[in-house]
Amino acid sequence: MDGQLGYLFAGFAVFWAGLFVYLLLLQTRIRSLTREVDRLEERLADAEADAAETPPRGGPSR
Amino acid sequence: MRTANRVYGLRWVLLPPLTGMGILAMLVGAVVAAPTELVEGDVQRLMYIHVPSAQAMYLAFGIVFVASIMVLWKRDMRWDAVARGAASVGVLFTAFALVTGSLWGKPIWGVYWQWDARLTSTLVLFLVYAAYLLARAVSDPGDEQAARYSAVYAIVGFLDVPFIVMSVRWWRTLHPQPIVSRLDPQLPGSMLAVLGISTLAIFLLALWLILLRTDTERLGQRLLGLRAAVDRREEA
Repeated sequence: MDGQLGYLFAGFAVFWAGLFVYLLLLQTRIRSLTREVDRLEERLADAEADAAETPPRGGPSR
Repeated sequence: MRTANRVYGLRWVLLPPLTGMGILAMLVGAVVAAPTELVEGDVQRLMYIHVPSAQAMYLAFGIVFVASIMVLWKRDMRWDAVARGAASVGVLFTAFALVTGSLWGKPIWGVYWQWDARLTSTLVLFLVYAAYLLARAVSDPGDEQAARYSAVYAIVGFLDVPFIVMSVRWWRTLHPQPIVSRLDPQLPGSMLAVLGISTLAIFLLALWLILLRTDTERLGQRLLGLRAAVDRREEA
C-alpha cells in the first residue's frame, strides 16, 4: 500500500509541477511582450520628437 | 449576444476564483472524501486527475479543430491565436493524461507503458500537436500562409481524436472500457460525484489557460503590426 501512495503522490506532483512550469513559461512570454511594448513606445516617442524638430520638407518658400 | 459579451468581459474576474474553488474541491474530494477502491487501493484516486485531464484534452483539441476551420473560412488571424492557445493547453493536458495514466498503470498492470491502441493513439495525438506548436513557434505569428497550412494540419490531426475514443471498443486493449461515459455508469455515486467535481474544476482550469494563452498570442500578433507601424514612422 505504501508503494501505491508513492505512485499517487507522483501523479499529483507531476500535475502541479507541470502546471507551475506552464504558468512560468507563460509569464516569461508575457514579460517579453511587455518589454517589447516598452521598447516600441520609446521608439515611437523618439520618432515623434525627431519629426517635431525637423522642419517640414517643401514648406512655404514663396 | 450582449450578455455573452458581458460574461466574456468578466472572464478574468470570474474564472480565477471559480477555478481556485473547483481545484480545492477536487483535491479535498480526491484525497479525503472519495472512498478507497477495494481492489486497486489508494492509487485509484489518480482517476480524479487522469480522466478529467483526458476530457480537457478533448475539449482543447476540439477548440483547435473549430478555430482552424474558422482560420480557413474567415481568414481571420484572431482564430489562429485561439487555435495556438488551445493547442498548447491540449498538449499540456495530454501529457498529464499520459503520465498519470502510466503512474496508475504501473501498480495495477505491472508496466508503465503498453503499446496498445488507446495509449499509442494518445501518444500520437501528443506528438502531432507538439509538432504543430513547434511549427508555429518557428514561423512568424502574423504569417497568414503559415496559419492556413497549420490549420489544415491541425484539422487532419484532430482525426486521431475519434480514433482514441473508439479504440477501446474496436480493439482488445489493456486500457479499460469506459466506465463513466455510458448510460449506466459503473461507479458508485460518491466516486461519480467527486469525478464530476474534478472534471468541472479541470475544465475551468483548461478554459482559463486557453483564454490566457489566446490573449498572449493575440498580443503578440498586435505587437507585430505595431512594430511595422513604428518602423514606417521612423523611416518617414
